[in-house]
Amino acid sequence: MRQFASDRDFRAGFVAMLPACIGIAPFGLVCGVGAAAAGASALGALGLSAIVFSGAAQILAVQLLAAGSPLAVIVLTCFVAGLRFLIYSAAMAPYLRPLPARWQHGLAFLLTDQAFAASVRRFDAGGDPRGGGLFFFGGGFALWTSWQLTNIVGYFLGNLIPAAWSLDFAVPLCFIALVAPHFRSYPTITAALVAAFAVIAFAGLPMKLNLIVAGVIGIAAGTLADFARERWTPR
Amino acid sequence: MDATLKLWAVIATVGTLNYLSRLSFIALFANRHVPPLLGRAFRYVPAAMLTALVVPMVVTLPLGPIAASAPKIVAALVAGVVAFVTHSQLKTLGSGMVTLWVLEALAQRFG
Repeated sequence: MRQFASDRDFRAGFVAMLPACIGIAPFGLVCGVGAAAAGASALGALGLSAIVFSGAAQILAVQLLAAGSPLAVIVLTCFVAGLRFLIYSAAMAPYLRPLPARWQHGLAFLLTDQAFAASVRRFDAGGDPRGGGLFFFGGGFALWTSWQLTNIVGYFLGNLIPAAWSLDFAVPLCFIALVAPHFRSYPTITAALVAAFAVIAFAGLPMKLNLIVAGVIGIAAGTLADFARERWTPR
Repeated sequence: MDATLKLWAVIATVGTLNYLSRLSFIALFANRHVPPLLGRAFRYVPAAMLTALVVPMVVTLPLGPIAASAPKIVAALVAGVVAFVTHSQLKTLGSGMVTLWVLEALAQRFG
C-alpha cells in the first residue's frame, strides 16, 4: 500500500473522492443501523459492507432479511438493483482496456456510482491510462475505507442518533444526487416517471417485488421513448 | 434456514453477482458486441432503477393520505432541482435535509 500512498495520481484520486465520502457517510450509517436492526452479527454486517459494497443492495438485503423473505427473492432484488453496474462497467471499459488484466479485475471491484462519476471526468481529461487507473484506485480506496468506517459506526452507535434528525432520508437524497442530473432528455425522464408510477401502482406486491417490476417497466418505457424520439425527430 | 447462514449466503451470492456486473464489460464481454436493442435499453437502467428505489423512501406505500409524506416529497423535489442545477452531492444532501427539518418543525408547530 505504501508504494501507492506516495503516488501523485493515487493521492489525487483519493482527495477528489473525499467530498463524496462525506456525502455518503449518512448513507453508510443508515446501512450499519439497518444491519444491526436485522439482527446481523458485527462480522456479518462488516462482511456485507466490505464484500457487497453497494448501499442500495445492502439496504434492500437487510430490510428483506428482517422481513424474512426467501433467499432467492433477496438475491434477485439486489441483483436487479445492481444492474446499473453493467452500464458503469460498459462506460469504464474503454478507459481500463489498456491496463493489465489484474488491474481490471481489481478496479472492477471498486466500481461504484461515485467512483464512476469521478473517474470518467479524469479519464476524459486525458493522460496516460496507468495514471487514470491509479486515480480510480485512489478514489475507490477512499470510498471503500470510509464506507466500512461509517457502516461500523452505524452498526454500533446508530441507536444514539436521534430519530428527529431523519437520517434515513439521506439515502434517497444520495440517489437523487446521482439520478437528477441525467434528467436532460425525454426518454430518460420518461423512464424515471414511468418507474415512479409503477413502483406506487405495484406497491401491493409482496417482498418489494414492485421495485423489480417498476425498474423493468421504466427501462422498457425509456427504450420505447428513445425509438419514438428517433422516429419523429426530423433529420 | 439459520439466520447467520442466510446472511452469509446473501453476502456470497449478492457479492459475487455485483462483482460480475461490475466486471462485465471491463473484462468478461470486453470483446463482445452489444446488440443494439440491449445497448439502447441499458441507457435507461440508472434512471428507472434509481427512481424506483427513491420513490418508496419518499412516499409512504401503499399510498395513504398525501399530507403524511408531504414534507419528504417537497424536500426530495428541492434536492432534485439542486442536484440538476449544481451536480453537487453535498449541496443535494444539505438542501434536502434542511428542507425536511424545516418542514417537519413547521408541521409540528402548526400541524
